[in-house]
Amino acid sequence: MKNKKGALEISFGWLFAIIAGVVIIFIAIYISSRLIGTQQTSISAQTGKQIGILLDPLETGFESAQTTSIIIPSETRINNICDSSGAFGKQIINLEQKSFNKWVKTDVNVGFQNKYIFSEGQTEGKKFYVFSKPFSFPFKIADLMYITSSDKTYCFADAPSEINTEISELNQSNLIVSNCAANDIKICFGKENCDINVDFSSNSVEKNGTIVYFAGDDRTLMYAAIFSNKTIYECQIKRLMSRVGELSSLYSSKELLINGKGCQNDLGSNLGEFSGLVNSLKKSSELEIIKMEADSISEKNNAGVCQLW
Amino acid sequence: MVSSRGQMKIQQMIFMIVAVTLLFILVGVFFLSINLSSLKKSSVNLAEENSMILVSKLANSPEFSCGNAFGSSRTNCIDFDKVISLKDRAEYSDFWGVAKIEIRKIYPNEGDKLCTSKTYPDCGVLKILDKNVKILPYSSNFISLCRKETDGKIIYDKCELAMLLIASQDKTQ
Repeated sequence: MKNKKGALEISFGWLFAIIAGVVIIFIAIYISSRLIGTQQTSISAQTGKQIGILLDPLETGFESAQTTSIIIPSETRINNICDSSGAFGKQIINLEQKSFNKWVKTDVNVGFQNKYIFSEGQTEGKKFYVFSKPFSFPFKIADLMYITSSDKTYCFADAPSEINTEISELNQSNLIVSNCAANDIKICFGKENCDINVDFSSNSVEKNGTIVYFAGDDRTLMYAAIFSNKTIYECQIKRLMSRVGELSSLYSSKELLINGKGCQNDLGSNLGEFSGLVNSLKKSSELEIIKMEADSISEKNNAGVCQLW
Repeated sequence: MVSSRGQMKIQQMIFMIVAVTLLFILVGVFFLSINLSSLKKSSVNLAEENSMILVSKLANSPEFSCGNAFGSSRTNCIDFDKVISLKDRAEYSDFWGVAKIEIRKIYPNEGDKLCTSKTYPDCGVLKILDKNVKILPYSSNFISLCRKETDGKIIYDKCELAMLLIASQDKTQ
């Protein structure tokens, strides 16, 4: 035996132990990597749900606008997904978080039917600002939330005084009204060649070569168009209009009920027509026509014996 | 003699490997059960947190709030004439992400008499949403429940003291 040069002498016991050890280590590594993946998915799902819950206090009630910030311990991408199917559609939040310098995607989508978030499709950062404003059309519909990353600064250059005041009063550090820096996202009013151009004559916002339309005097939808992309904006408008339709039907039932008590408004037929009109909305350019109907309903409600809203 | 010693060693090795594998499996199951229970706990916490925050804001949401229907804007004021129509609307079953929403009149106390289109407004409990599932403890908030009322000659606003109760579904079982 000693004469056989180069032969490796390993007993069967050793060979078996090595093979079995390798198999055990391989299984252990596989299981731990799966566990880490599950853990990350669970963290993303929890954070997504927490973000949704944290947005609840931003339901403004009677205040005009308010802002808050959300700080997430690790670098996060908030994917804003809007689904307009069903009675109210769905606001979906999907998170990607950085782990070991790599973005970890998860399939966990956290959905809310009663929330309307306007942001870019993907917002990245550790600190996020959420600015909310109530939307009425003509009755209160919802509180719209605008999510931006603290890494991006929006500069409202030469904005009308009421927008200047509103932005300044918000005190949100990534929304400024003067001294725009070169890398800020510049929003211009009545001018062209800025990152975002707002045109009050046509009630439209031009961004990345696409145009969306807004309506209403309270600028709620204008901010929505500024902070979101076209796909999300159009989808959320459809969702909002579905809620307008449901609320119209609710007010219609209320009108029938209080008619019997002597509160006659004769708004029933108007609300029925309005509901049909909002449910048929296909794109934001049709908002202006619906706004005219909303204004006429609002006038009739204010002039009635009892106000419905 | 040599071959039987070798067989003995192989048997020892196999027993050892089986034992080590079982140990790994046991440790894994133990770790997984801890992980799952903490996941369940955080799911319950999130659901409870959701209903706690929601109950403080729901009265001011468009489907519930009085708006300007009773004069000026009021916080935590629910329009009874409006919410009675909200009862059992299938479209709203998943809208707030909770399993139960009900309003209980506190003063005047009308007992457990359920509010329907027939008993309205002389009733004590309005069940707006009831999913018939296992629920977590209720979160509650005091509200004023207002409606239009008439004595035949004049129309006036009548507000009563009530409690808004919300419970989330217990998904742990």
